[in-house]
Amino acid sequence: MKFRLEWLGQYLPGELPDLATVRRRLTDVGFIVEGTEGEGGDAVLDVELTANRPDGMNHRGLAREAACALGREFRDVAAPAPAEGPVAAASLATVTIEEPALCSRYSARVVEGVRVREASAAVQGRLQALGMNPISSPVDATNHVLWDLGQPLHAFDLDTLSKGADGLPAIVVRRARAGETLVTLDGVERTLSPEHLVIADAERPVALAGVMGGLHTAITPSTTRVLLESAHFSATAVRKTARLHGMHTDASHRFERGTDPATTVEGLNRVTALLVADCGGTVARGVIDTLAREIPPKVVKLRHARLVSFLGMDVPFARCVEILTALAFGVAEVEPGVLSVTVPSWRIDVDQECDLIEEVIRVVGYGALPEALPPPFNPTWSEPILAREDRARDLLAAAGFVEACSYSFVSADENAPFVSAVEGSAPVISNALGEPFTTMRSTPVIGLLRAARHNVRRGLSDLALFEVGRSYALVAGHPVESRRAAVLLHGRRGTHWAAESRPADFYDGSGAVAALFAGFGAASPELRPATIPFLAPGRSAEVVADGVVVGWVGVLSGALATAWDLGEAVVADVDVAAIPVPPPPSNVEMPSRFPGSDVDLTVTHPLTMAWKTLESAVRNGAPAELLRVDAKYLWRGAGVADGFVKTTLTVAFGSQERSLGRDEINRWRDEAARRLLLVPDTAVDGIA
Amino acid sequence: MSGNRPEAGGSGGPQAASPGSPVSVEEARGLFAAELTESEAAASPRGGFLPADVAALKVRWLGKKQGVVTALLARLKEVPKEEKSAFGAGVNALKQEVEARLDALEAEALARAAALAEAAKAVDVTLPPRVPPVGRLHPLTVVRRRIEASFRGLGYEIADGPEIETDWYNFESLNFPPDHPARDAVDTFFVEGGGTGRDALLLRTHTSPVQMRTMESRKPPIRVLCPGRVYRKDDIDPRHSPVFHQMEGLVVDEGITFAHLRGTLAAFAKSFFGGRAEVRLAPTFFPFVEPGVDCAVSCAFCEKGCRICSFSGWIEIMGAGMVHPNVLAAAGIDPERYTGFAFGMGIDRITMLLHGIPDLRLLFENDVRFLDRTWS
Repeated sequence: MKFRLEWLGQYLPGELPDLATVRRRLTDVGFIVEGTEGEGGDAVLDVELTANRPDGMNHRGLAREAACALGREFRDVAAPAPAEGPVAAASLATVTIEEPALCSRYSARVVEGVRVREASAAVQGRLQALGMNPISSPVDATNHVLWDLGQPLHAFDLDTLSKGADGLPAIVVRRARAGETLVTLDGVERTLSPEHLVIADAERPVALAGVMGGLHTAITPSTTRVLLESAHFSATAVRKTARLHGMHTDASHRFERGTDPATTVEGLNRVTALLVADCGGTVARGVIDTLAREIPPKVVKLRHARLVSFLGMDVPFARCVEILTALAFGVAEVEPGVLSVTVPSWRIDVDQECDLIEEVIRVVGYGALPEALPPPFNPTWSEPILAREDRARDLLAAAGFVEACSYSFVSADENAPFVSAVEGSAPVISNALGEPFTTMRSTPVIGLLRAARHNVRRGLSDLALFEVGRSYALVAGHPVESRRAAVLLHGRRGTHWAAESRPADFYDGSGAVAALFAGFGAASPELRPATIPFLAPGRSAEVVADGVVVGWVGVLSGALATAWDLGEAVVADVDVAAIPVPPPPSNVEMPSRFPGSDVDLTVTHPLTMAWKTLESAVRNGAPAELLRVDAKYLWRGAGVADGFVKTTLTVAFGSQERSLGRDEINRWRDEAARRLLLVPDTAVDGIA
Repeated sequence: MSGNRPEAGGSGGPQAASPGSPVSVEEARGLFAAELTESEAAASPRGGFLPADVAALKVRWLGKKQGVVTALLARLKEVPKEEKSAFGAGVNALKQEVEARLDALEAEALARAAALAEAAKAVDVTLPPRVPPVGRLHPLTVVRRRIEASFRGLGYEIADGPEIETDWYNFESLNFPPDHPARDAVDTFFVEGGGTGRDALLLRTHTSPVQMRTMESRKPPIRVLCPGRVYRKDDIDPRHSPVFHQMEGLVVDEGITFAHLRGTLAAFAKSFFGGRAEVRLAPTFFPFVEPGVDCAVSCAFCEKGCRICSFSGWIEIMGAGMVHPNVLAAAGIDPERYTGFAFGMGIDRITMLLHGIPDLRLLFENDVRFLDRTWS
């Protein structure tokens, strides 16, 4: 927001303050001067104002802050009532407030015999310096007062307002009726509802209260009688109206944040004086000042002892009084060290003691605060799921995966194939930025697919990516966020000159899942063949831990791979929170001193027979000395019938107590072989 | 190594160095010396004797049946009685000389053969190594952990909360009344299917809802840090993203002061940016704190001003303030008895600052050329 140094100086008697000093001190007290243009009186300051300080969004208000920050006198400029003619304003128009909660006060003056002209060069110059184009005196005068005092005003052509039963042009502050319309100054016809606060004449709305006037009642070059409005509207009412129509004006910006309820008449007098000076005319006698609701001044207690203990530093009592007084707070010491502080009507942001403490410390300066530390604190807890997520990140990075970070939203089309990945439905953003940001992802795998596509398009197709993040769903209207570890493999694995590389396959995916479980010390999950709509049939599995499905792994379906412009991609997604992590070991056994023994068994069996079947046959009925069963080698082709495969299993035996004898190991091997033979359609090499 | 290859069998060995057998010790000694010289000359292209060469010499000179020395000794019975003793001693001395010499040559040959065998296994050590797959953590993870480590040192616990929030937790309980302009500063994504008013579902616009959730579930003293993903309706450009990451801090206890806030931010700045870092606080407005603070840290990248600090010497890194009494009250904590402070910083922004990352989009694009480096 722009401010002219000369205009501020109007409220600072004496020499114009130095621009650089004003800039620095205003910034120190919370009015950040982002830049300046020009020099001397013509200098313009660009100030960033926070939403809680509408009182600073005008030259008088900012000058008051500057005076306090600079330790200079602030002197208000008197706005005397203009010279008035004999005709009473009350005999020319009426004002009625039907909604006292939404409009506390409506002050109006009437000027007759006006000839619409340009505003004075002084007014035009000031508005131009702030970046506004002069229009005509009535409009420019209202803008000038808005930027001077922060009071938004409006000028009606009195002769366009329809008359009430008393025969006088009427101003009625009321809610719009359903279906009423109003063409605003910008030429847009707006359909209204009771949610809108309007200014109406006897028949129809003539302005959106606090936002914009109507076109048909606006000042024109032929206007001779003007009704000037200076009102206090409720912030909520103006904000609602402005938002419903997507409008934002200088007036609504101030009303929405809160204007000074006590400055309507002052603003009215200033604008009248400016108008008459430019356009002549006679000011009707008196202000039509309708006060629907008194807004009493706020009184807040400030305890000096509380201020000192809250800040952790002393600010002398007298200094507190000095600062508050400079900012126009009314101060009375009601008991030793306790002030009763009357808040100026424009300080809508000050309600409580802490607000007053802020007033004091921001003027003293935050730089004066000592650097202290709170007393020592002994942490006894930390959110375990965050630690688990971080451990999953470390495990996957250690397994050679690169961590990705992708948006939580994806397009509806991208999400749709994966809806079955979560229970419930994908949350939909009602005011999204457009595609691809409309739904919350059902799995972080979608982000990895996007990442893969990005890289493949840049010629980087050998990828091993992971993301530990959330998936999102709505279940019966309630959001559910689950913590997922997702991986994606694409392209070749093991590219090195000494050996041939191979494409990433299912077992790379299941291996990543197994590495994750192993890293957490959890038992290997069961991989259960499953039909999963977004994965290739026959190369997809559910990840099952303790009988519960906690994730999935597989080759992305061909259709999806094509849709994502990818080659074959292996993906997996595991619920990190569901990995059954055992407590750390508490009773460690010495490793056996006795070396174990491995024996091999070679089984020919149908291709359709799962490894799990072979493994179970070996395990079930085996002695306690059986330690492991591994797949050593699979052979299809020469010497093996079509539809069959030859699998070599390695069976490891060992004992904690003794060395095992060759005889017993051979016996166990033969027993295992006979159990394998009991499985239909199997043959074991060397065993009839 | 001269590049000679070891050969099997030691062809070109010393056999048949002289057609006749020597008859005297002296003659034999001379012959041995001559044969050795000749054999060494023959072996020299291969770098010297190999074990087979020495073995052949041993057979020729010390062999139990046809060895030259053995043969010489066999002549003892032909020697006149009075010369037997001297002859015998002479042959034995010769035998020991030959044995010692050949044993020494054998040891040398074995060492040479071992060296040749090793040489045969030599590789080009400059060829690209077989690197096991090297994984990486995302820079946002690394920087988040660094921030957490700084605050863990100050005794903070780590907390967490949902990203799909209600209006109550994200706004209203944090002193953003409905229809308040302070909400304009944060363009919010709403989620379909939520309730209305304070039950409306939205994507949290900051990690501050975790303040309220923490204060509801735990009583003071509270000292927590909450990292997380937040959402604002910003179009994507080099400096904006609709998804980004914040780190929230909250301290509530009896006797917590504004000076404690300043001291804490200063301690963090020194721990994170280095011991010379200073903080500068400036007044600002956030509805859930009073007073509100913008916190800048002295530029760690320059002495006098640079592009990173916009030539000001200061970089704004976070917002902070004293917890508003309305917020404490909304959480059921007596604001007269307890005070507190809160702060929040953008992890993405700090990551960009630390590493000179020119475009925020790099953090979400997942180009492996960007990700494949060590961030710390």
